Amino acid sequence: MAETTAVSEEFLRQLAAVGEVDIVVGVPTFNNRETIERVASAIQVGLTKYFHRDRCVLINPDGGSTDGTPELFKSASVSDFGMLLTANPLRTFHRLTAPYHGIPGKETALRSLFTAADLLRAKACAIFPPDSPSLTPEWVEGILRPVYREGYDYVSPVYQRRKFDGLLVRALVSPAIAALYGARIREPVGGELGLSGRLAAHFLRQDVWEREMPTFGLEIWMVATAIVDSFRLCESFLGPKIQATKQFGQDLGGTVRQVVGGLFQCMDMHAGYWKAREGSQPLPLFGFQYAVALEPLRLSRRGILDAFRSHVEQLVPILESILTPQTLVELRQVAQLAGNDFRYPDELWVKTIYEFAAGYHRSAISRDHMLQALPPLYRGWLGSFILENQKADLGKIEERLETIAHEFERLKPYLTDRWDTETGGAR
Amino acid sequence: MAEETSWYKDAVIYELSVRGFYDADGDGGGEFRGLTLKLDYLAELGVNALWLLPFYPSPLRDDGYDISDYTNIHPAYGTLDDFKMFLDEAHRRGLRVITELVLNHTSEQHPWFLEARSSRQNPRRDWYVWSDTTDRYKRARIIFSDTELSNWAWDPVSESYYWHRFFSHQPDLNYDNPAVREAMWEVMRFWLEMGVDGMRLDAVPYLVERESTSCENLPETHDVLKSLRARADRSFPGKLLLAEANQWPRDVAAYFGAGDECQMAFHFPLMPRMFMAVRLEDRKPIVEILQSTPAIPDSCQWGLFLRNHDELTLEMVTDEERDYLRDEFARERRALLNLGIRRRLAPLMEGDRRRIELMNGLLLSLPGTPILYYGDEIGMGDNIYLGDRNGVRTPMQWNGGWNAGFSAADPERLYAPVISNPVYGYQAINVDSQRRYSHSLLSWMKQAIRIRQSTRVFGRGSMEVLDPLNHRVFAFLRELGEEKILVVSNLASQAQAAELDLRRWKGSVPIEMSGGSLFPPITERPYLLTLGPYQFYWFNLRRL
Repeated sequence: MAETTAVSEEFLRQLAAVGEVDIVVGVPTFNNRETIERVASAIQVGLTKYFHRDRCVLINPDGGSTDGTPELFKSASVSDFGMLLTANPLRTFHRLTAPYHGIPGKETALRSLFTAADLLRAKACAIFPPDSPSLTPEWVEGILRPVYREGYDYVSPVYQRRKFDGLLVRALVSPAIAALYGARIREPVGGELGLSGRLAAHFLRQDVWEREMPTFGLEIWMVATAIVDSFRLCESFLGPKIQATKQFGQDLGGTVRQVVGGLFQCMDMHAGYWKAREGSQPLPLFGFQYAVALEPLRLSRRGILDAFRSHVEQLVPILESILTPQTLVELRQVAQLAGNDFRYPDELWVKTIYEFAAGYHRSAISRDHMLQALPPLYRGWLGSFILENQKADLGKIEERLETIAHEFERLKPYLTDRWDTETGGAR
Repeated sequence: MAEETSWYKDAVIYELSVRGFYDADGDGGGEFRGLTLKLDYLAELGVNALWLLPFYPSPLRDDGYDISDYTNIHPAYGTLDDFKMFLDEAHRRGLRVITELVLNHTSEQHPWFLEARSSRQNPRRDWYVWSDTTDRYKRARIIFSDTELSNWAWDPVSESYYWHRFFSHQPDLNYDNPAVREAMWEVMRFWLEMGVDGMRLDAVPYLVERESTSCENLPETHDVLKSLRARADRSFPGKLLLAEANQWPRDVAAYFGAGDECQMAFHFPLMPRMFMAVRLEDRKPIVEILQSTPAIPDSCQWGLFLRNHDELTLEMVTDEERDYLRDEFARERRALLNLGIRRRLAPLMEGDRRRIELMNGLLLSLPGTPILYYGDEIGMGDNIYLGDRNGVRTPMQWNGGWNAGFSAADPERLYAPVISNPVYGYQAINVDSQRRYSHSLLSWMKQAIRIRQSTRVFGRGSMEVLDPLNHRVFAFLRELGEEKILVVSNLASQAQAAELDLRRWKGSVPIEMSGGSLFPPITERPYLLTLGPYQFYWFNLRRL
């Protein structure tokens, strides 16, 4: 049963007027004035084009925007569907805003969306970020159809990425989830996602909503919970994804802490599950996979490596509490490598992550401090990867990432050992 | 505007087939004498105008729309004297009579056509539209797409092609010929002089053909109609011309002219949208079509209907809407015909009494004159295994006895079999059984019609659509002078709550019109109503 306290009285009034629906689509916002109209219109066209017989509602949980985002969301409308090669919608199209108070956060937004989906008895639910310039009406179909028509419970996106884009997910989170939970999910924190009404209701019943959960941690938790509780997962190819506002490196540390912190939290919650798992399987993939030429992401590897080298030495006292002596020695040796000889070996990368995870589990030091020590190491691995693959095409990059994923699986017994070790670290 | 001449605005019209209503002479088909015997039933129902399907001499290859003599009665239906007697008796009961005038075409058996085809030199040759090739008027669509491949048919007698917009046995008259226009006025005059109160003009958009056009709604066609109206007004004031133009509202509105063409026209696009709205449980289709319906002259009126003798036509909907309606209402594909669905109201509503009442409630309260189709007032079923549209033209079910009380003939002799399945068969659905209890559909229909007739607001009032947040609730206000009626309908299969902004009528008390119950007075606050599945209310807003 949904906690109705997650929604305001006014929002409940609006929901009562909407009544039972087939599909709930949510776009959580916070000051997204620049992009929200386009996103809302693209979703409306997508719903009209691909779900024109179905009862749909588009909901905007807003975390207190001061730039008029909710007003723009409500007023965004498509005046001429014909020009967009779409027939006029058969049904009333509902667009609701659900302002919430307190710290703008995804958990509050998702909770109110899931509550709405539960109250409206939605069969399918989708969430789209408010700032994606790549979002097209076809993404709406890609995310919703596997749930709505094919009976899946969780749809994760697959994008065509630019070279070196999204490596934190592709070389850490995704392979770790595959190794631990047995599902090769490529974009567990993509932003777009689809889920069945029953899974939304299942999430609502869990006790995470009052906990402090990192922003990206919630998405990883949803994936992990769906796997652990035997829901049906799949992937859907959406096409190229261009990030709107984020510049690479802008708050990389924060992102790493959020994403990896979420992963570690889930590992802690589901240790009994993943320890008993072996191997991994790809998920069913929907959508026609096409490729377009994308400009590679330009990264300054010198800056990345310099940051790594200087930080490793500064962090040795903390790293001694987390890493095994051998790993720390190897890491410091890597930091000494110069120029083109610089390599962060796959095995060392995976052991680094696994030892951090075990340390997080043991709370070897303050978990927050521990997570702050990880971004510099990720920079090291990233610099090494860029150096190694400067001339590689997208196919070669994929192959390399596959190798890393295998390494995560191969070294899973090592993680189990470290996890069960009472004490750890070099000290 | 004289009330006397605008009687159609306050009318509830009942459409019936003489052949299908009551067979008094036991020959297997109804006739005027039989119909006359059933006039008391119609008066009791509360309708005040009857629209009769064609009853003229005809080969009956299109249920009488293929006329071979415009000024006589088909022998199976009686004589002109029988008709006059029927007319007198109807008028005596306050029932006006509207007959069919098929202007566009005749039967190929009509003497005019027999003469016209007899030779290219015949003086009547030019009464029809001929061509040596099929290349003319290429832009005209084929209406009966299930049966006709072309609008041209080869005449082996005169070795040329003749033009037909409907079946190939129905050649189109040539309205560019003044003699044709004169002849059709003579037909009109014949019936109006006899006392007929109005004429339904069949298939009016197609009267005139012009190259490089769709041959529909042409200015020349409107000229023909204006001329007929002017002559009718001069000689027979107050007679109704009702246009059948299955077109979009803006095109149909042209058939009102400036109040100088037809007084009434069917609102074809509204009908499928009422079905769609109830199926979708969403008022959007109705609201949208009402919003795109242009204003019409004061003296004119829309004709509203749910079902009639034709298929539920789906020409005036988008492709997506048509697909939806066909999927939802014709799951049995045999029910499809041309672009539409050949079913009666009750089967379309899956026999759900609440939905049947809701649909009739909408029909009786929306702006326009409602037209009921015979048998729908008792929830009659249909027979989709009969060809063409014959499945919705089966004998009226009067009682649970022999041939449903329709005829004393042997069942094999009936013009069409009575409906006899366990759900809609005459033993379950008939007038006599529904007369016996007060909560039957028939009793409900009588009450609804009585309420409709208790006020002129429904026929003449303005309409304002309200916009409650709950899209499953369709609410509107009808207003005429000081009188205001609030209509609130739940289009959904579940109970609904709606908050209505009625502040403008603050201080008024809603009085529910069927039972007279007082509801809480209207205040500044949103007016909360809860409605059961498919429930609707008509409220008289009375200022105390």
